[in-house]
Amino acid sequence: MSDQYEYILKTEHVSKSFGSLEVLKDINLSVKKGEVICIIGPSGAGKSTFLRSLNQLEKITSGKIFIRDELFLHRENDHTVDKLPREKQQELLLEMGMVFQRFNLFPHKTVLQNVCEAPIVVKKEKKDVVEERARELLARVGLSEKADEYPSRLSGGQQQRVAIARALAMNPEIMLFDEPTSALDPELVGDVLKVMKELAESGMTMLCVTHEMGFAREVADRVLLMADGIIAEEGTPEEIFTNPKTDRTKNFLNAVLEA
Amino acid sequence: MKIADLKKYSKQIIVVAVIVVVCIILAALKPGKDTLLSMTSPEMQKMIDADKSSSRKRVTITYNSMLIINYVSLSTSGANVMSERYVGFLGKVYPADEGAMKVVGQMVNYSYRMLGIGENLMHGAKLTILLTTLTVIFGVLLGTILALGKISKKKILSKLSGAYIFFFRGTPLLIQIFVVYFTVPGIFGFAWRDFFNAADTEAVYKGAFMAALIAFGLNSGAYCAEIVRSAIQSIDKGQFEASKALGMNYAQTMTRIIIPQSIRRMIPNVSNEFIMVLKDASLVFAISLMDITTISKNIMTSEGSYLVFIPALVIYLLITALFGFIFDKIEKKFSVYE
Repeated sequence: MSDQYEYILKTEHVSKSFGSLEVLKDINLSVKKGEVICIIGPSGAGKSTFLRSLNQLEKITSGKIFIRDELFLHRENDHTVDKLPREKQQELLLEMGMVFQRFNLFPHKTVLQNVCEAPIVVKKEKKDVVEERARELLARVGLSEKADEYPSRLSGGQQQRVAIARALAMNPEIMLFDEPTSALDPELVGDVLKVMKELAESGMTMLCVTHEMGFAREVADRVLLMADGIIAEEGTPEEIFTNPKTDRTKNFLNAVLEA
Repeated sequence: MKIADLKKYSKQIIVVAVIVVVCIILAALKPGKDTLLSMTSPEMQKMIDADKSSSRKRVTITYNSMLIINYVSLSTSGANVMSERYVGFLGKVYPADEGAMKVVGQMVNYSYRMLGIGENLMHGAKLTILLTTLTVIFGVLLGTILALGKISKKKILSKLSGAYIFFFRGTPLLIQIFVVYFTVPGIFGFAWRDFFNAADTEAVYKGAFMAALIAFGLNSGAYCAEIVRSAIQSIDKGQFEASKALGMNYAQTMTRIIIPQSIRRMIPNVSNEFIMVLKDASLVFAISLMDITTISKNIMTSEGSYLVFIPALVIYLLITALFGFIFDKIEKKFSVYE
């Protein structure tokens, strides 16, 4: 696969409606390799829906999605106009790892099995190779000793770190985080953010929907503020947090930072 | 690990061991068949001896041995009608022609017949258990296919499964049995016994059993489909999303993630279905098979014994308890991760 591309991920005019409710309106975003982008904004702004649309968990109503500069999907008025062949789509989707708010670990499999499942089943990799990599990943998220436990025995923070390891096991080029710390007790948030920060420092391309302003400020290369289905403001953390331009951003930041 | 397991069950192990030892002792103390026969009256002895040297048998001897207790009944036909009964228990032989011992003797005899001891697999309790177990296994497998069809996004599959379930739940099982046993061979010009060796005297029963199994399985599949479907739909949507995000296709998601989790949730309902089938199994009377219920009814009709239904109830309860226990164990095994 060629590495000659400008943007690892790009959207043009992406819109999404649930019935008459317009959740996303004309979203344009370009992501370069290695960028860490945090998406903040009030709830109901469409942040999660946008992330899920990238990963095809939601079908966009209209717009174009490019992956590695290739037109991945083009839809207009809920009809697919153009797309890559299925196998190629599948291949590119594997380059996107996803971490959910509710972890969504497989409860009937141990931590190690959770991490190994997809590489073995989807990529048909050899079990011992995958297991070795899985143990390394678990060490990286600080959970080596939990390899043979079932997820129900782990705290929320530990489960989320397993979920990160599980996504990383597929060797994705880009990681999507959908409010990864929102379902956690406050004292467990730190461990997860630490892992995410290390991941960002290692050069991973990341798209994080988050309510952790401190994390966004410290780690992000770019911060997007979404409100009412549009990107209300976009800029470096400095610009957004210290010198917000729009009223929407000011209101949101006031509300969040005061709380 | 192994020893810890044993310690956990120490109470149960002791109880089972005591029961087994007591049974072994009682079985060892049980008088033999010859002892029972030697207690008969001189007249009866004479006729038994006469039978030995003649080809014409006049004495009918029924001997029922059930682990710790046994029972013999002798009756003669012809001019000299006699009948005698004896129960053997704990080293002693008791005449069982009247009073409490008569009831005990009857209970032994009825239980023996309903359990189908000394008979082939298609008789009494064995038939009931075999038919029920195979039906539920078949039903769950078929039910899984139907459930996957029902929830499929392909309209045609969903409609077909729905129609199947509607048909089999909306018509009586007895008529379904009749259709499989009579109508289908009638239309296609075969007989169920043709599937077995013509020289086999049991061929007709084996054929009937096969027909019954097919009818029961098809019927149970419809009920199990709803069980499997509701179990699958009770799995958190996040599991589908996580699987999809990891690149797993529909088949991989179903077989590796969703169905394994559904199994635990469907066990209580499958256990329930098992009990329903266990009782429905008595419908095989209609195609000449002898299950527990049919045998008890036959005994009632031919011997006028109104007590026969008591051991029948006990046998059903014992089977239900045994399989309830087994389903409990299976559920525990599948619950390790919770």
